[in-house]
Amino acid sequence: MKRWRAILGNTGAVATLAVLLAAPFFLYGWFQNGVAALHLRIDPQYSGGEVARVIQRDGYQVVVRKPVPRRSPLQRVDPFVQMTWTPAARLPAQVSDEIDLDGDGRPDLLVSFDTAHLKLDVTPRTPGYRPVHTAGVVSFSELIARVNDGIVVRVPLR
Amino acid sequence: MPAGGLATEALLLGISSGPVCLASCSPVLLPVLAAERKSVSGTGALLAQFLGGRLAGYLGFACLAWLLGLSLNLEPRARILVYGLCDAGLAALLSAYAFGLRAAPEKSCEHGCPASRARRFSDRYHTFAPVSLGFVSGLTLCPPFVAAGVRAAETSSLPLALLFFAFFFVGTSVWFLPSVSLAVVQRFAAVAVVARFTLFLLAAWYGYAAVIILGRYFLHA
Amino acid sequence: MPERTLRAAPRSWAKSLLLTLPILLWSLLMFSRAMMQPGRAPKLAAAVTLLFMVALFFQMVRTFQTYRWRRYFFVAVGFLFPIGFIWDLIALRGSMSIPVERMLSGDTPFCFMVIPMMIVPAALFGTIVFPGSILATASNPHAIAAMVALWMCATLLLGKAWCSYGCFFGGIEEGFAAVAKKPRIKKLDPRLRWMPWAVLAAVVLLSAALLEPVYCTWLCPFKTVTEYMQVRSFETAFQAAIFVVLFLGLVVVLPLLTKKRTQCSFLCPFGAFQSLFNKTSAFDVRIDRARCRPCVLCEKACPTLSIGAESLESGQPRLSCMKCGACVDACVRGAAVWHIRGTEVGPSAERARLMHLYSAWGFAVLFGGSIIANTLEKLFGLLV
Repeated sequence: MKRWRAILGNTGAVATLAVLLAAPFFLYGWFQNGVAALHLRIDPQYSGGEVARVIQRDGYQVVVRKPVPRRSPLQRVDPFVQMTWTPAARLPAQVSDEIDLDGDGRPDLLVSFDTAHLKLDVTPRTPGYRPVHTAGVVSFSELIARVNDGIVVRVPLR
Repeated sequence: MPAGGLATEALLLGISSGPVCLASCSPVLLPVLAAERKSVSGTGALLAQFLGGRLAGYLGFACLAWLLGLSLNLEPRARILVYGLCDAGLAALLSAYAFGLRAAPEKSCEHGCPASRARRFSDRYHTFAPVSLGFVSGLTLCPPFVAAGVRAAETSSLPLALLFFAFFFVGTSVWFLPSVSLAVVQRFAAVAVVARFTLFLLAAWYGYAAVIILGRYFLHA
Repeated sequence: MPERTLRAAPRSWAKSLLLTLPILLWSLLMFSRAMMQPGRAPKLAAAVTLLFMVALFFQMVRTFQTYRWRRYFFVAVGFLFPIGFIWDLIALRGSMSIPVERMLSGDTPFCFMVIPMMIVPAALFGTIVFPGSILATASNPHAIAAMVALWMCATLLLGKAWCSYGCFFGGIEEGFAAVAKKPRIKKLDPRLRWMPWAVLAAVVLLSAALLEPVYCTWLCPFKTVTEYMQVRSFETAFQAAIFVVLFLGLVVVLPLLTKKRTQCSFLCPFGAFQSLFNKTSAFDVRIDRARCRPCVLCEKACPTLSIGAESLESGQPRLSCMKCGACVDACVRGAAVWHIRGTEVGPSAERARLMHLYSAWGFAVLFGGSIIANTLEKLFGLLV
């Protein structure tokens, strides 16, 4: 028994050296692909949620994402819905769009902002959303921000 | 809908909501189970006490809401108040419980000094700590609970609503059963020390959360 | 191979060079790409780092001592990593603070400290509670999959020895701990060494409940030397104050006064997490009870309070042992020894040490070496 344990121990020690040699050439790539293959996603409070629909406008589009609800009573980010106006370079100086979030044909929000100072006004047309009057980031669930090639707006839900 | 169908619906809703309930109750439940260092049956008994308290919280809140004619889908301000009060309650209860944990019983002072009174209170509280912690956890309006409440309110009577809640509760509780396996750590004496420190840290968190949430409530009154 | 008993004479130069050769070849392989980059700064940085790492290994082999030479490397990583990281942040956005915009675009670099906190939410909800990217992007090479893969390789190789060879923060406090000749505070409450486990339990449970990396948002002292959320509110100001107080207290002042790695010993939840993998490592440190006096020099030398009275009784350091080698080097009777699991304690201690060093130092060249070279390249770029 003692002998077998020693053999196993020494085998493990040698295997460690083999792992070192394999790490930069094989293991690192395999592990990376393995993690990517788990189909995990970034939490929607950071990513903004899944894309629900894309609304085409004249020269730009509005990417509407699914609402991100509260999933835990301790969660500190209030529920919100995210929209992205893209590409930012082709937006007019003053944007004012009525947005149908749930695809029922009725506008849910009137979103207005100026692209230079990012001063945002959101007027709900249907209950379920809170009005917003801000310039910049109030919280993770209430903000307007320039992100990559778009302007992201988050409106808190009631 | 017949009672059987309602019960099945509630059970399935509970099972699908279980991960959220487990995640939000675990900070309160798991350190307590670990701290007691009991056998599997002892840990199971503690879990049953916690879940019993949680059920009482669910049903009590649901009864109250039904009788007052309130929707469980509370207005944001009311929800903030409930969260804040529950967090404050949990901070106090966790602190009292952690304070009462110690390796060996101490001699209490015969002169009734404040430290001794606090120690006696903690000792007395220790017995019903799991139930009270479960009760306060049950009062927090977690989204699955609200969804279940809204659905229960659509039933025709209070007994059916309570039946719905009870089966919903059973469904969520299935996810809590593996926590009995914490009994494996009972052989490590250090677990009690770690659990005590953890409870103080968690109490600090809940206390901070209560201050911020209640501060927000009263400042925006 | 001669076994070390009491303070052995140094190994001969020829044997030491021969034993260093594999590390020299490995280092040449790892730094070859950097050496082929255009410009003098990357070549010079790679060459200096290679010489540094090979020279330290040579000394470890020649002198039979591990801790002192490993510490030079570790302190270098600890101080050069923040310099390079902050340099990149200033170049990219002019500030150390993370704007929300960067978090929304998934550009927050992923840190290994998040790993214990993301496991439960990933298992329960299928989401990663960190504002990063799963795969590397042009604007964020420090992606989640890459860092997790690196951590998995490191854990297979090192177990808890990550805290001695991999962690790019631990070297800061190890550097401060080395400053004073003698400790001003000698007695520390031994119960405090359980705090990292409590912090681990608390942050794992709260991260699953809050769906955010609680240690990063509330307790990480190393935010002070990397990046932190923009201070826009009372809460972010409060968080920043906590980071600064913990850094100054646990990473600077207490190590100066105690000569211990107090942040690692009393706070770091990732260290507690890595302790779980100490049992899976092929190498460990043991105390040969037949040789032990006990003089407790090992206990005094241990920077993380991983040796106590019960360790000397059982012949094994605590689970928190980082395999830094301080106890082995401090032991005058050759009782504290390196050991391969499953084998007899004592015989082949030097073989165990060398085998451990090849894998640990190989990883150090790969990871810590690249950090050193990266920062040196930036610094040399100013001069050449």
